[in-house]
Amino acid sequence: MSSISRRSIVSLAGGAAVAVALRPSRSLAQDAGPVRIGLIIPLTGATSQFGTSMAAAAKIAADEINEAGGVHGRKIEILIEDDQSNPEAAVRAAHKLIDVDKVVSIGGSYASAVTSAIAPLCWESGTVLLTSSGADSIMKLPHHGYIFRTSPTVTLQGTRVGEFAVELGGKNMFFLGPQTPFAQSYIDIISSIFTKAGGKGAGLIYEDKKTSYRSEVDQALRANPDTIVLGGYVPDTAVVLKDLYRAGYTAKRIGFSFGVNPAILPAVAGDVGEGTYSLVPSASEKSEAYKNLIGKLNRPSLDSYSCQVFDHVALTALALANAAPDVVNGTIVRDNIRAISQDPQGAAVDLVPAALKSIAAKQTVNYDGPSGPLDFAENGDVKGVFFRYEQIQQGKLALIKVA
Amino acid sequence: MLTVIGQSLVNGLIQGAVIALPALGLTLIFSVLGFINFSVAAQMTVGAYAGWMVNSHLHWPFAATLPVAFLVAGAVGVLTDRLALAPVRARSGGQTSLMVAVVSIALNLAIESALRFSFGNDLESYDVPVTRDFRFAGLLFGPQELLNFGVALVAAAVLATFFTRTRLGKAMRAVADNADLARLKGIVPNRLANLATFIAMGLAGLGGALLVVTTSVDPSVGSRLVLVVFAASVVGGLTSLPGAVLGALLVGVASELSLLVISPVYESATAFLAILLVLLLRPNGLFAGVSAVRR
Repeated sequence: MSSISRRSIVSLAGGAAVAVALRPSRSLAQDAGPVRIGLIIPLTGATSQFGTSMAAAAKIAADEINEAGGVHGRKIEILIEDDQSNPEAAVRAAHKLIDVDKVVSIGGSYASAVTSAIAPLCWESGTVLLTSSGADSIMKLPHHGYIFRTSPTVTLQGTRVGEFAVELGGKNMFFLGPQTPFAQSYIDIISSIFTKAGGKGAGLIYEDKKTSYRSEVDQALRANPDTIVLGGYVPDTAVVLKDLYRAGYTAKRIGFSFGVNPAILPAVAGDVGEGTYSLVPSASEKSEAYKNLIGKLNRPSLDSYSCQVFDHVALTALALANAAPDVVNGTIVRDNIRAISQDPQGAAVDLVPAALKSIAAKQTVNYDGPSGPLDFAENGDVKGVFFRYEQIQQGKLALIKVA
Repeated sequence: MLTVIGQSLVNGLIQGAVIALPALGLTLIFSVLGFINFSVAAQMTVGAYAGWMVNSHLHWPFAATLPVAFLVAGAVGVLTDRLALAPVRARSGGQTSLMVAVVSIALNLAIESALRFSFGNDLESYDVPVTRDFRFAGLLFGPQELLNFGVALVAAAVLATFFTRTRLGKAMRAVADNADLARLKGIVPNRLANLATFIAMGLAGLGGALLVVTTSVDPSVGSRLVLVVFAASVVGGLTSLPGAVLGALLVGVASELSLLVISPVYESATAFLAILLVLLLRPNGLFAGVSAVRR
C-alpha cells in the first residue's frame, strides 16, 4: 500500500471536492447528450428468473427508438442495474441512477419489496417509476403520480386465484408464502373468497432462505387443506413443492407466475410438480407489438414481465417525444404518459417507431405495447389485464384458459 | 403435541447434521489458520454443483457423487486460498486475521459469481427420485434425509479418527495449539495449511451436496446458509470440532422447535440469538470443554 501516499490521497480528495464544487448546479433535467433511462432489474437472486429476458427486451426497445432517430434527435441510453433481488442493493442502484446518471425514469423494478424501497427516492427526485410489482401497498404511497404499474395488483391476482380454487372445488385453503409486502394480503383475500363460498382459509408466512420447509409443511397439513396456495418465488416454491410431496400431500396446489413458471420445472420434475396450477399475467400475445418483440429476441414466446419492461422504456421515450424538446425530466414523462398510451381519440399504434413518427407529425396516438393496452387508472394501476391459467402437465406448463 | 415436538426434533437433527459439515470446515480453518473463512459458503455451492454435474450429466449414482463433491470443493478451496487469501495472510500485522476474513467475503462473492456465470440462475436438481416419507412411531421420516444424516455422521467420525489417530492429524492439532512450537518440532505449517483448507472445504462441499440433493442447486444456495453455519461454529466455540457438530445440531433443533412458538418468518432470528447468547454468556462456546482441535 506504500505506493499510494497519504499526500496523494489528500490531493485526490481535494481534487474531487473541487470537481464537485465546479459541477453545474444540481438539476434533475438532462440537458445534453443521450436521454438516460434507468432499469433496476433482478439479474441475480431469488427473483431473477426473468432478469435476463427483461434486460434483452429493454435493449430492443432502446434500439428501436434509436434507429427511429431517438427522442427530439437525442439518443436513448438505457442503464441497467442489478437489484440482486434485494431492496438494499436496489436502493443503492436507485441512488446511483438518480443522483449520478440523472435518469428521467426507472423501469423494471420487479419484486414488491424492491419497488417499495426505491419508490420514495423516485417521487422525491421527480423520477418516474415504472414497475412490474404487484403489492397494492405501493400505489397507496404518496407518490404524486410518479409511479405507473404495468402488472396486475395483488388484490386482482389473489381474487383470481381464490375464485379459480373455489371453481376447482376447494373448500379448505392454506396459503404458504415467504415474507413479502403482499403475503398477508393474499391470505386475507383468498381466505375471504373461500369463506364466502362456504369454506375456510388460513395461511403461514415463512422465511425464504431455508433449505427445507418440513416443519412449515407439517404445520400447514395439520389444517388438513384441500387447496394449498403457493405464494413464493421460484427457489422456495420448489422446495415447498418437494416437501409437500414427501409429506404425502396429494390435493390441489396453485401458485403464481413468479413462483410457478418454466424456471421451476427442472426442479420439480416427475410427480413432484405434476398438476400444480399457475396464474400468469398474460402478455398481449395476439398483438403486432408482441410478435415484433419475440421476433427480434428470436424466441417462441416471452413472459409478460419482460414485455412490461420493454414498455417501460417505450412509454418513457414516447412521453418525452410528446412534450416540448426544451425540458427533459421525470415530471415531463409523468405528465405525458397518459397522453400517448390511452387517449381514446388517438390512433392505435402497436410499434414504437411508428408511434414516434406519428408524434413527430403532431398526431395523437394511443400506444398499445407487447404487455397490453397500457391504460392507467387515476392511481397509476394498469387496467384491463388478462391472465393465463396454466397447469404443469407431464413436466410442461399447459394452458388451461385465458380470462 | 408430543408428536409435533418429536417431528420438529427429527427435522432439526436432520438439518443440523448436514449443517455440521460446513461448520466443521469453518472451525477447522479457524483452528489451524486462525481466521474465519467465509468462502465456505461458496464452496458448499461448488460441491453442490460438482455433485450435480456428475449425477445428472454423467449419470453417476448418488453415492459416487459425494467423493466428487468433496474433492472438487477441496481442490477449489485450496486453489482459491492460495490465490486470494495466502498472500494476505503472509503479511504480518495486527489486523491480518480480520483482513483475511474480509478478503474471504470478497472471495465468496467472486466464486459465487463465477458459478452464476457458468451455470446460470436456474434451479438444478439432482437426478435422484423424490420419495414419499414413511411413518415410524407416528413420525415422518424421509429415506434420503436419513441417508444424508448417516453420511454426515460418518464424515464427522472419519474426521475425528483422522485427528486422533494419524500423524498428520496430530501435527495439525499441534499447529493449531502453537504454531511456533510445532515449527520447532519440524512441522511445516504451510503444508498443513493447505491440507486443512482441503479437508475443510471438502467437508463444506460434501455438506452442500447433501443439502441440495433433497432441494435444488442455484448459485447462492451456500450464501443463504452462511449465517446458520457460522452460528453453529460459534455455538461450538469456533475451535472445537465436536463443538461444531453439537452446535449445528443445537442450532438445527432450536430453529425447528422455535417454529412452534414464533412465526416462521423470524426463524433465522434463532441463529442470531444463539450467536448473541453464546458470545455474551460463554464466549468460548457452549462446548469449549469438549476436546478442541487446540487441546
